[in-house]
Amino acid sequence: MNWKIWLLIIFVLASLLAIFPLNFSKGLEISLIEQNSTAFEQGLRQNQIIKSINGNPVNTFEDYKNEINNLFPTQEKIKLTITTDTSEVILFTNQAPEISVKEIPKTRIKTGLDLSGGARALVTAEGKSLTANELNDLIAVTNERLNVYGLKDVKIRPVTDLSGSNHMLIEIAGSTPKELENLIAKQGKFEAKIGNQTVFSGGEKDVTYVARTGQEAGIYSCNVYQEGEICSFRFSISLSEAAAKKHAEITNTLGVNASNPQYLDQKLDLYLDEKLTDSLFIGKDLKGSETTQISISGSGTGATREEAYENALKEMKQLQTVLITGSLPFKLQIEKLDTISPLLGEEFINTILIAGIASILAVGLIIFLRYRKIKLSLAVLLTSLCEVIIILGVSALFNRNLDLPSIAGIIAAIGTGVDSQVIILDESQTSTLSLKQRIKRALFIILGTYVTTLFALLPLMWAGAGLLKGFAITTIIGISTGVFITRPAFSEIVKKILKE
Amino acid sequence: MTETAENLVQEFTEKKFAKWYNKNYKFLLIIPLILILLSAIQIVIFYQQNNDFINKDVSLTGGISITIFPHEEVNLNELKSHISKTSDDLTIRELSDFRSGKQKAIVIETPLDPSEIDSLKSEIQNFLGYDLDNENSSIESTGSTLSQSFYIQLVYALILSFSFMALVVLFIFGTGARLKTILIIITIIPVILFFAGLIKIEIAIILGTIILLVNLGFYIKYSIPSAAVVISAFADFFMTLALVDFLGIKVSSAGIVAFLMLIGYSVDSDIMLTTRLLKRQGDLNKNLAGAFKTGLTMTLTSIIAITVALIMTQSFSEILKQIFTILLIGLAFDLPNTWITNASILKWHLESGRKS
Repeated sequence: MNWKIWLLIIFVLASLLAIFPLNFSKGLEISLIEQNSTAFEQGLRQNQIIKSINGNPVNTFEDYKNEINNLFPTQEKIKLTITTDTSEVILFTNQAPEISVKEIPKTRIKTGLDLSGGARALVTAEGKSLTANELNDLIAVTNERLNVYGLKDVKIRPVTDLSGSNHMLIEIAGSTPKELENLIAKQGKFEAKIGNQTVFSGGEKDVTYVARTGQEAGIYSCNVYQEGEICSFRFSISLSEAAAKKHAEITNTLGVNASNPQYLDQKLDLYLDEKLTDSLFIGKDLKGSETTQISISGSGTGATREEAYENALKEMKQLQTVLITGSLPFKLQIEKLDTISPLLGEEFINTILIAGIASILAVGLIIFLRYRKIKLSLAVLLTSLCEVIIILGVSALFNRNLDLPSIAGIIAAIGTGVDSQVIILDESQTSTLSLKQRIKRALFIILGTYVTTLFALLPLMWAGAGLLKGFAITTIIGISTGVFITRPAFSEIVKKILKE
Repeated sequence: MTETAENLVQEFTEKKFAKWYNKNYKFLLIIPLILILLSAIQIVIFYQQNNDFINKDVSLTGGISITIFPHEEVNLNELKSHISKTSDDLTIRELSDFRSGKQKAIVIETPLDPSEIDSLKSEIQNFLGYDLDNENSSIESTGSTLSQSFYIQLVYALILSFSFMALVVLFIFGTGARLKTILIIITIIPVILFFAGLIKIEIAIILGTIILLVNLGFYIKYSIPSAAVVISAFADFFMTLALVDFLGIKVSSAGIVAFLMLIGYSVDSDIMLTTRLLKRQGDLNKNLAGAFKTGLTMTLTSIIAITVALIMTQSFSEILKQIFTILLIGLAFDLPNTWITNASILKWHLESGRKS
């Protein structure tokens, strides 16, 4: 057999290996787990595989949802046994565990957000253009912020688009919290002031430790309030020496509160992004003392207790995050925010697969009608299939995400592929010149169309903040594979079939 | 090879057609000319009415698009009247299963500013009776400044693609290294200036278009085969644009990508035609007939494949529907543009060349 056909076989096999991992495990992978949750405390960790809940095996997302919805929410705490690939974890809780799960991927093909669900945000500074350095700083802080908050599957990178503006592109796979917008865009300027003077600000210079779990942080009471409920939280923080000294200096100048003699006459006001979020009484013994322990408190309201609880939790987490990571040097603007449900992607892939198969079969039919040899039809179908496999294999190998534009690119590549195959078929059927020379001419034409399409696609690598890059890349991979691997092999196969 | 009666009849009709074609092919050019004229009129009228060349959807104008997977089937009209209180220019459509026709999802699109997402969401939630979360809904929002920036970039990408494609065509079919070098340099200069940040994108677009026209002028003078390919590809694009405008299709960024794909597809048949006529010895008409058979197969397979794909995906994905529709229109126009426009110009040029 000809070396060109061998080349094709090698590439196809290599691609198949790249796509399909050789292990077949069942269960659901934990994709996200909140660090200050009971689940985390009991030993559940990200990337562990859940095999069963309360003895019932869970293999799909549906299984997991059904189990959890059957059990929660309940009034009293119940025992929840979660068996993972490494351990068995028992929780006593009256709420669904704060984890996100995803199905173990059957292939190594990673799908982009439009297909697997998640969130994407394009962020820039309000009113000014970001320099490369500023962008890098922004990315570092945002990365830390999202990690502290508990989001792990986060990709943040700088993008420049054709108009020269710099943006930060954040991509988070899987389910995202509702507060994502706040989390990303809040400048996060936190200041604790007494009167007009700042005692300390958020960030590691002033705040050396922020309690996030256990006794030192959490919701401590809920009460009826106006027409709904209010839940209050508190968590303690430690101040640096410098901040503590400042605290001493400023409190030294205060007097005792007339109506509440255990407290000083001014409060510690907490400001987030210049809005007052809370005012704390300062105990009179703290006057002039370099205290390093401060308890931050606040609250959240809602129409029901559940809502109030959720909101309080939200507020607390945001404050904690901002105190840990400090503030951003400029105000941010989210220019594009997409939150995508995974349901859409699943349907989409199914639809496209069926449509793809139907299309290629239709093509095979026409080839048969025109050339009257079923073997030629099969050769065309096989070649196109090989091209798809190789494109997917290369994508899997280079960890490229397959998103909607990429799939459009695969369609484009297959389309030009079929065109080229028809050219080869026709050239091989004319009677002037030898078969070899005719095939050569066909390949010349194909090379011409290849280079044209290649250059026509290049601008897409940068246009639109690179969001359409996937299209350009898969098409280029597809047509390059075609020109150098699949179509030469196809011409050899055609030669063989026609010699019969 | 034995000749059957069928073959004889076929040959006879082919010969008759071939004779007629040989005499009258120049007049066939009227057809694409009329099409181009109609397209021009449509585009001009459209521009006057809308101040732009295409209808843009929310991904290019800015706005919010919400896709909801409802618990049970939703009546679109009721939903629309419930929400319209906060926004005009709101469109609602449904995505349904190809086989059963059942409603799978609803898509709500409005050019509202992304800051209005929450009020829009609460209106929808009020109507549905349940909350929208990460699982039962997808929300895409784009600020209008960003969208407009995307649009301009995509337009520039289109112009660049066209220019590069034209350069490659000249490279393949043109003669004279000097001409090729000069034109490559002229075309690349504004691109380099732009990427170096020395000129703004709007200027780059205008310069790019002017240079494209200048190049075309040079092609017409020095390499008619190249000019024929470029004119044919442009005519294809132009006619497709006009029909898309006429049909009122709201183009998204995916739609503009479809136009880019079209450049590649339509040029395929033109390059094949030109190569066969220029580089093959033998009778011009015979080569043309052979090329036509090949090209027809090429374009027909693409048309049928895309039609099948369109039928199967149109009820479910707006993006795919748009891409396939634009491709289908473009491929349909490619047939007259390659086989009348390009072929007639090329044949004319070659035959007048052979006479002298």
